[in-house]
Amino acid sequence: MRGRRSFYPDIEPYDTGWLKVSDLHTIYYEQSGKPDGKPVVFVHGGPGGGTDAKQRRFFDPEAYRIILFDQRGCGRSTPHAELRDNTTWHLVADMEAIRQTLGIDRWQVFGGSWGSTLALAYAQKHPERVSELVLRGIFMLRQKELRWFYQQGASAIFPDTWEGYLQAIPEAERDDLIKAYYTRLTHEDPAVRLAAAQAWSVWEASTSFLLQSRDYMNHAGEDEFALAFARIECHYFVNGGFFEVEDQLLRDVDKIRQIPAVIAQGRYDVVCPMMSAWDLHRAWPEARLEIVSDAGHSAYEPGIVDVLIEATDGFRP
Amino acid sequence: MSSRSLYPEIEPYDAGKLRVDDLHELYYEQCGNPRGKPVLFLHGGPGGGIEPRHRRFFDPSAYRIVLFDQRGCGRSTPYASLVDNTTPHLLQDIETLREHLGIDTWQLFGGSWGSTLALAYAQAHRERVTEMILRGIFTFTDEEKDWFYLHGTRVMFPDAYQAFVSAIPEPERDDLIGAYYRRLTGDDASARRAAARAWSIWECRVATLLPDDGLVAHCDDAGFTLAFARIECHYFVNNGFFSPDTQLLDNMDKLVGVPAIIVHGRYDVICPPRNAWRLHQAWPGSLLRMVEDAGHSANEPGITSALISATDRFARR
Repeated sequence: MRGRRSFYPDIEPYDTGWLKVSDLHTIYYEQSGKPDGKPVVFVHGGPGGGTDAKQRRFFDPEAYRIILFDQRGCGRSTPHAELRDNTTWHLVADMEAIRQTLGIDRWQVFGGSWGSTLALAYAQKHPERVSELVLRGIFMLRQKELRWFYQQGASAIFPDTWEGYLQAIPEAERDDLIKAYYTRLTHEDPAVRLAAAQAWSVWEASTSFLLQSRDYMNHAGEDEFALAFARIECHYFVNGGFFEVEDQLLRDVDKIRQIPAVIAQGRYDVVCPMMSAWDLHRAWPEARLEIVSDAGHSAYEPGIVDVLIEATDGFRP
Repeated sequence: MSSRSLYPEIEPYDAGKLRVDDLHELYYEQCGNPRGKPVLFLHGGPGGGIEPRHRRFFDPSAYRIVLFDQRGCGRSTPYASLVDNTTPHLLQDIETLREHLGIDTWQLFGGSWGSTLALAYAQAHRERVTEMILRGIFTFTDEEKDWFYLHGTRVMFPDAYQAFVSAIPEPERDDLIGAYYRRLTGDDASARRAAARAWSIWECRVATLLPDDGLVAHCDDAGFTLAFARIECHYFVNNGFFSPDTQLLDNMDKLVGVPAIIVHGRYDVICPPRNAWRLHQAWPGSLLRMVEDAGHSANEPGITSALISATDRFARR
């Protein structure tokens, strides 16, 4: 068996900027790699997760013009953790604004978890702008996916860390945990908001890797990160991702089936379990589904990194 | 803690058949030290039968190792019989065997259905039990049953579940277990075999952390599969002959003070970790060892190691 592909070396952006996309919101973006290379946009997760320097390294810098941006309200975009004018369709429009600002005609769209949701939504809205799709840990924001992770499902696999998520909510409100969290995440008292944000974020972090990562859990519990991550995620979830119907992304697969695509899915992804990748694969058999037997949800699991880089390498000019 | 592996291969110093009623005869064997500490190995399924490797979880110089095939499976006869095959019958068989061997008290060691049977036996005959080592906990509640056959495991193994469902015609899929039961107990031998095969392969495909073709081939072996599927399904349609379904958890007060070690794989998707968590919570003094890189099978390295550490720990008590 060949060895697994690993990350390209650390790289610094050759260009960074802020784009004012509304009266309220300003978006951070950056470009790395080869300025006249094949354009690719990295779509981060959450929503509210922000970008990270490591994410530049999924792409051959000799071949790609690599664009990362922080979605509304998170990372270096401002205002931080803001929920107003923050919907899927605002983000899709922001991607178009970035594309036009950078003078790009078509680009590859690369995203995992919520990044796969937004990538699919963007591609279905603007298929002519997408050269390829590289997707990971498929999430289509359907009620059964939300219930699995936030109400009942993943709790059976991680009953121990589930206790921490559960204990932040009084027993009387546990019938609808997402709603109970939303009340707290949007509470007027910053201490209430922060406590809820930490419990919410640590639950996800504790279940994101095949083998639990303490470092990642600690990172997820940091105030700034947790607040944006939890508030924005929960805001999108109580609003059904702002989709017209809950299976909109499956319904509209026909709009994108001509786009070359690779789907990487960890078998032990308990955050976005394989049923969604499977449903997408059945609706869209042309997309190549790669199941990684020894991986959870994270983009940084070795088997997932391997499949993702194989995909971006394969799509090089 | 250093990693432990199986003790060397060993042959029984005694083996025999024990008639337990007009119909059933049970195969049993004894290995190790005839004057050692008695331990009873309880196999899974029900209907799984014993294998030579099951002898090797125990230090043969310290233990008198007793193994037997439960009614209708392995070398017990009549093969795959469902007549007079219930949990109370198996509990009585264990007592019959204990008396036959002249053993006063013994340790119980069982995984999956073996953990169920161990709990049921210990609750009925507390005074006969010195210690308990349980793996891949299954307490036979409706919730646990539904997890595996209806709505839990399939979320992470939609591909394997599709094959399991496809063996049953669409109109009968509302009651999958019932549909399987009708085929497994019907007159059509080829339909019985086909159902037994699909039933067993579903379980074997999801039993290990990483796909194990050898195990799947074993589950496809006609000699194993018919007893396994028929007996398992028979117990499932009868709710394990427990009433109410929470019987074992409800009676844990009877086992207070029994030294117990619970070993469970984090990625056990057949009997999810919640089963072990609940048992542990209901059983003060029990030790829970969650093995992070393992599934349901007893044969994965982390599980094997934890089980042997447990038998070693209890060896000189």
